[in-house]
Amino acid sequence: MNNNNTRTNDERSEFLSGIAAMNVLEQPMRRAQIDILKEGGPAALAAALQRPKKKNNRRHKGARQILSDETKRINAILEQEQQKHEEDPAYVRRVPQVTTFNVSAPPSVRPVKHYCDITGLSGPYTSPTNNIRYHNSEIFQFIVKPMTPGVDQEYLKLRGANFVLK
Amino acid sequence: MSRDASVEPLKAEVLEDQPLLDIPEPFDSKADYKADMPIAVDFGSFNVRAGFVNQAKPSHVFRNELTRYRDRKLAQTFTFIGNDTLLDQTVMSQAKSPFDGSLVTNWDYVEEIMEYTFNHLGVVPDDGIKNPLIINEKLACIQSQRNNWYQVLFETFNIPKVAFGIDTLFSYYAHNEMSSDGLVIGCGNHDTNVVPIVNGKAYLTETKRINWGGSQAVDFLTDVMTLKYPYFPTKLTNYQYRKMYQDYCYVSPNYGEEVSKYLTLDNLVNKNVVVEAPFTEIIQPQKTEEELRIQAEKRKENGKRLQEQAKQKRLEKLVQKTEEFEYFSKIKEQLVDQPKKTVLSILQNAGFDDERDFKKYMYNLEKSLKKAQIIETDKDDEENDDVEAKFDLLEIEDSKLDEEQLKEKRKQKFLKASFDARQKAKEEKARVAKEEEEARKKEEEWRKTNLSDWVKDKRGKLAVLVKKRKDKVKLKTDMKDRKSQASQKRMKNLANLAEDTPQSGSKRSRHQATIDNDPNDTFGANDDDWAVYNDVAQNPEILDELIEEDYRQIVELESQLLEFDPNFTEEDTLDAQYDWRNSILHLFLRGPAPHDSENVHEQHQMHLNVERIRVPEILFQPSIGGLDQAGVSELCETILLRKFNSKPSVLSQSALNMANNTWITGGNSRIPGMRERIVKEFTQFLPSNTPITINQSSNASLDAWLGMRKLGNNNTIFDASAITKKEYEEYGADYIKEHKLGNINYFD
Repeated sequence: MNNNNTRTNDERSEFLSGIAAMNVLEQPMRRAQIDILKEGGPAALAAALQRPKKKNNRRHKGARQILSDETKRINAILEQEQQKHEEDPAYVRRVPQVTTFNVSAPPSVRPVKHYCDITGLSGPYTSPTNNIRYHNSEIFQFIVKPMTPGVDQEYLKLRGANFVLK
Repeated sequence: MSRDASVEPLKAEVLEDQPLLDIPEPFDSKADYKADMPIAVDFGSFNVRAGFVNQAKPSHVFRNELTRYRDRKLAQTFTFIGNDTLLDQTVMSQAKSPFDGSLVTNWDYVEEIMEYTFNHLGVVPDDGIKNPLIINEKLACIQSQRNNWYQVLFETFNIPKVAFGIDTLFSYYAHNEMSSDGLVIGCGNHDTNVVPIVNGKAYLTETKRINWGGSQAVDFLTDVMTLKYPYFPTKLTNYQYRKMYQDYCYVSPNYGEEVSKYLTLDNLVNKNVVVEAPFTEIIQPQKTEEELRIQAEKRKENGKRLQEQAKQKRLEKLVQKTEEFEYFSKIKEQLVDQPKKTVLSILQNAGFDDERDFKKYMYNLEKSLKKAQIIETDKDDEENDDVEAKFDLLEIEDSKLDEEQLKEKRKQKFLKASFDARQKAKEEKARVAKEEEEARKKEEEWRKTNLSDWVKDKRGKLAVLVKKRKDKVKLKTDMKDRKSQASQKRMKNLANLAEDTPQSGSKRSRHQATIDNDPNDTFGANDDDWAVYNDVAQNPEILDELIEEDYRQIVELESQLLEFDPNFTEEDTLDAQYDWRNSILHLFLRGPAPHDSENVHEQHQMHLNVERIRVPEILFQPSIGGLDQAGVSELCETILLRKFNSKPSVLSQSALNMANNTWITGGNSRIPGMRERIVKEFTQFLPSNTPITINQSSNASLDAWLGMRKLGNNNTIFDASAITKKEYEEYGADYIKEHKLGNINYFD
């Protein structure tokens, strides 16, 4: 049914450029492109579209960076509020209401159940050498005991009990 | 194993990789375009769902992914989005999401994807997009994320009016009125939210988020399965693991109880799922019978030729050795009655050190000659058994023979010796056979006359053997461990033997003692002393052979017992005790069937059993997945029993309303058993007879879009919720328009 894998290179090239051509806009939608069209006409826009895009570094932040920026932002506001309060004791400080950090679920208060790291069954035993939890002697004998040092960390990582070097 | 024959092979589901599409994403007609019709876009981290609010369902649903593909020949870069990435293998494999976890990190991609969405919806731009827009954002969205959205929507696309809302609340709103009380459990792709709603207003301050969703579950399953099958021959794609998660995982109604009996034969027959990775089977070309026959003949001929060559060589060597032997025998005769000096000189002429050396040489020569003759005898057994060779020259004295005849005589002498040896070996064989036959008969008689005694004897022997074997197996494993007592003892022995001055014996003599004349060395006086060499020689390889030998004997005894002892069944054999049926590990890795490691299909199979409930259980016990957070039911319990003026014994009216109107939404809630489990948990922690209603829509992943649609069709609420471009320009990027379905300000 699907002949995508039987195409020759040229056919594939043609097919893909055809798909791309279908998605070319009749009229630009984005502000920057609209401006180019107004100023320089269709030729200028076509040229601009072919030009490789400038890397906009401000927009490419990793998730970790975004989160730490948000922490900084909130802390800055809290500090500001504190300062205002110190200057004028009558000032009522604003307190965080809903932030990405305080909606995070708190730790569980229920007792944590232990499960076998290998099978997921109940895990009443812990290996003294690498802290792997296991279900019975068979699993210890064949999996836990001969386990190489890297692998035990992989297993522990599943439940976040691995060593993390910082 | 005979018992395994009755086990039916397990059925395997072939797990295909993502199929390629044939048809690109369609375009909606521009003819029906209305510039004032709001557009609803559910911009999820997994799928984008988009459509005008006057449509019953989103007209476009596609993966939120983008590929920039560079065609080298055309020297052009193409951009493919959503379903269009699935048209080609390379394009598909390079697709990337604008999301990193639950956060948007690539806003260029967002722009591209939004433009693509508008274009496919048939939007006719007029200095930007003229339609109002409804879009979702995360619970407690990070400010920089919203700023970027404002920028993209208001500045880049020039959209006049945008309503931002939380997808979980949209989902709730899709099925409820703006004034109702309820509790929503939103199971998303990256997180799971529990939101209490009173009088249509979400209490975000009491809302909690678990950082676990469908994508984490799939990743967890991936890790678990790769650890379970570390030597799996192929690497499965994310799509295949997601399929596994979606198709075979389910929420267990009672995890603790179910998991404890999961790896039992009875349960696995129903619950074990076998998935097979697709692979191309290499079929060995079958040879025709004729070809095989020719091949076999050739091999036979070659073998024969080699055998003949070897025989020729052996014979030559034998003749040479015999000659040598004769020559030295003559020398030996010469030595008789000679003075010592002459003897020594004769021997030294012949190339020996002294008489001892000569004797040793002769002894060895004789021995090897005898051995060679016996081998020759065995080889020739069939061929020239009946051929009575002529030994006529043997009786004639050497002096009467010429050169040629002498040679012939030597040959005859050798042949005679080998003939004699052959006869002897034959006799020996016959004798052994006769003895065996007698022993067998005696045993049979014993068995027939007194079965119970016989059985007792055999069983006793079997027990001893089994114990012996067990000890050896233990010793073998101990040997592998450098620190074990067995290997420590062995090292000690080795060190002791290697030492020039053994530690044994407290007083040492002054004069030089060698190993031969040390008067203090009493080693060997006691026969047990020699056992030390036994201990030292014990290495795992030799042990392996011994264990194998024991096993052979055990199997033989068992087969006898099986035949004649009515109380001895297959169950009692050693093999049955190592049966895969009793092995948790086998059941875990290979399911309720024997495993054939040679079978290519079985090599490419994974067995899903405990994982099927283990992975979804993380939503209820996040500690399994390494999250230090409370599970879904615990969060619900806190909200219903401790918040909104409730006490564990007496629930407030709002809490009662919530329990009676709980909604499970989101794509990840489609895992089977979710609703049943929540019902069970609620009945457990709520006071008895509390009315419970747990709702789940039939297509949970569409709920959010349907809520957006409902909002878009209600002009008054929509106008009150949406932020206009003018407001954005006036109040700036920090502005949040609070409404019942959206986020609220960060600070109070």
